[in-house]
Amino acid sequence: MDEILATMAAVAADPLGYARQWKQETQGRVIGLFPMHFPGELAHAAGALPVILQEDDEPVTVGQAQVFNFYCGYNRSIIDQALRGEFEVLDAILFGDHCVQLLGTADVIRASLPKLPILFNQLCSILDAEWAKAETTRTFSQLWKELEALIGQPITPTQVQASIRLFNRNRALIRQLYDLRRAGQIALTGRQMQDVVKSSMVMDRAQHTALLEKLVPGLERRGPPADAVRVFLSGHLCHAPKLPVLDLVEECGGVVVDDDLYHGFRFVFWDVAETGDPVEALADWYQLRSTKVPCPTRAVKSLDWEDYLLRNVRASGAQGLIVLMAKFCEPHMYFYPEIKDAFDRNGIPHLLVETEHEEMPMEALKTRVETFIEIARRRMAA
Amino acid sequence: MQMVAETQERSKAGPVFGNGERANRLKATRFGGKLVNDYWESLFAAKEQGKKVVWYNGTYIPPFFHAHDVAWVHGEAWSAMLSAKHREVTAQARGDQKGYDRELCSYARTHIGQLLIELDKVKSGTSDMAPDDPRIETLLKLPPPDMIINAYPYCSSGQQWDDITYRLFGKKVPMMTISIPLLWGGRPDAGYLRGEEWHERSRYVADQLVAMTKFMEEHTGRKFDFDRLSEVMGYIKKAAQLRLEAMDLCTAQPSPASFFDWIVSIAPVNFLPGDQNIVTYFEGVLAECKERIARGEGAVKDEKYRLFFDGMMNWNKVGWLADKFAAVNACVVAGRYTHMSFWQEPELIDLENPVLGMAQNYLICPNNHGAPIMIGEIERICDKFKIDGMVMHAARTCRGMTNSQFLIADSAKRHGRQALFFEGDVADESFYKDELLNVRLEAMVEALDAKARAA
Repeated sequence: MDEILATMAAVAADPLGYARQWKQETQGRVIGLFPMHFPGELAHAAGALPVILQEDDEPVTVGQAQVFNFYCGYNRSIIDQALRGEFEVLDAILFGDHCVQLLGTADVIRASLPKLPILFNQLCSILDAEWAKAETTRTFSQLWKELEALIGQPITPTQVQASIRLFNRNRALIRQLYDLRRAGQIALTGRQMQDVVKSSMVMDRAQHTALLEKLVPGLERRGPPADAVRVFLSGHLCHAPKLPVLDLVEECGGVVVDDDLYHGFRFVFWDVAETGDPVEALADWYQLRSTKVPCPTRAVKSLDWEDYLLRNVRASGAQGLIVLMAKFCEPHMYFYPEIKDAFDRNGIPHLLVETEHEEMPMEALKTRVETFIEIARRRMAA
Repeated sequence: MQMVAETQERSKAGPVFGNGERANRLKATRFGGKLVNDYWESLFAAKEQGKKVVWYNGTYIPPFFHAHDVAWVHGEAWSAMLSAKHREVTAQARGDQKGYDRELCSYARTHIGQLLIELDKVKSGTSDMAPDDPRIETLLKLPPPDMIINAYPYCSSGQQWDDITYRLFGKKVPMMTISIPLLWGGRPDAGYLRGEEWHERSRYVADQLVAMTKFMEEHTGRKFDFDRLSEVMGYIKKAAQLRLEAMDLCTAQPSPASFFDWIVSIAPVNFLPGDQNIVTYFEGVLAECKERIARGEGAVKDEKYRLFFDGMMNWNKVGWLADKFAAVNACVVAGRYTHMSFWQEPELIDLENPVLGMAQNYLICPNNHGAPIMIGEIERICDKFKIDGMVMHAARTCRGMTNSQFLIADSAKRHGRQALFFEGDVADESFYKDELLNVRLEAMVEALDAKARAA
């Protein structure tokens, strides 16, 4: 099992390296996707390797010439990677989310890499609008057409359904890991769970699924240390939290039992219907996503992120919530006070950690996490 | 309050910079001040008159409210007004207290902060204002909404702002959100006002606007009058045409008006009622521009340099910046915010059936095009007005307008124009760095002089 986790960790650490190797071996197309709601199934059905483009660990250097330092680390890193030539492996980029920072990033990439097709089809973000379903169906139909034009041949519904089945299986297996971790039957660390999810965003899905088929039954059934404080992680809507930040939770006496991170449960919680018109199925998948894990970038009047968090923190048996907020992430900055107020009202310990692309003050952060863990521990004992 | 007073004092003083000349602002724009004050006064009386009040954010949809006889509060205008009057600090502090990070859109922080102050008053039973309150105190009295409508082109932050407003009112106020999607311009036939994407998106937005009229009907119990909408749009179309005609006169050298005159002329084409007053306003502006041209009088004394302002306005610093540029004989002739928005394509509006043309004007707001088409339009304007250099306002909390600014500056340089950046913000004065602008502006005019000498 260690070997499987090491493979996933290696891919997660160098996603574009994996993509380059895959391309060399298969001569296939690599299609980059921006987060957070755009499905990879259509690109997969087109015979390509869909890769969700990731923040890397390099400091932003040449990218400074095209992006302000008051943009989030993900956007600054993506621009930097584009200008460093890292995206030469890509045959196209697809995206549909209208994060205002991401729209600017896409324009910089278009200007920097004019030969790289960028297929932008904006998703309707008002999920409870009367026209949301029709507009989403239109969006995915348009994307289907554009992908066919890109690869120069038709994509059949049967191909898309096969991709949907494969992606569903992949998500279902990762959800099994979540169930086992919540139940205290396995002791995957925050770092390991991120590696599992992040590598699924990058690897050939069939290859990744095959690894999961072995990993899920093969992981040793043992729980975390009995005295560890159970922690729920929330936030980081587009990019992966830095691994040392995740490690800190465990180093300070905590254990991550659940999360709603994009590089976590948010990425795998919901499946696409495997029968019927695949465009309709993808549209339904997109529309219903926020009913399961609310997203602050989608307008749904009846749903509140803080209600979801309260419910799931309790359901997972977590003793506290750590909110990981990427600096300059606007949707998170808007909704954080709602979460803070709700957790204050309910007397549940919570800690806000603002994360940055560049170096973080880990020693200072360690003190804060230790204090938080201690508070949660005492609250539990009281 | 002392801090607020000090801020006001500081801002009244002109910038200590350059040759001491100040901007020669258009006198005709003073009528706009009266119109704006009348608008806010009538808004504060709306509840007493039994009118429903809509809070909205985003593009210029008030003609729909006007036609339906409901009062409207534009969140951005509210925040800009508080900032222009240097009254934003208290509102922003209340937002800070609630937990909103200061890197969040300062329009939103100011608006939400003031909303929280009003809710505090309601909770403490001190919401009624004394009749002899100073005028500014009256202006701070925000009438609560009966409906919330969000219609933000391009900017995701704008949509999330009202998602929070809706929640702060306990989800008890009906809300509708309209999607005005980006015109990415990636298809082969894409171009300014043309292509499959343009036509498809125009129809999409128009359909949502019609849905908005149904939403208002539902929450007022009255039928929407499309004839009345045509009537209102008749005034707006005329005002927009006059505005463009007056803007075009600024190809003259010296330019009779500056970007800062157009900045203070935004309200009439953004959120003021569509009636004869706004036509009269722009007739006055046009007439004064013509008179100035006849006299050879410029918006800046001894105009030597002609500049383009890119980015969102710094509402704390309108007069300050106008004088700063005048002090180096630089006329900021045009800008992205003023010249690429606010009914800049009035001929698209068919008064018999105005909704589609209105949707199209909303779609072409200054950042809702992908960069290639948007920058093409900027260069066209710069060529038209014979622009020497670009002033890029990097508004700290406005990603909608800072996106693509490096690309815009690159393009300017390719077209032989200078470009400078300065730091500031739309409504948070603490981000403004005056000395940086001074140094960079001095360097720019020196470079322009050197270029002129070499020519």
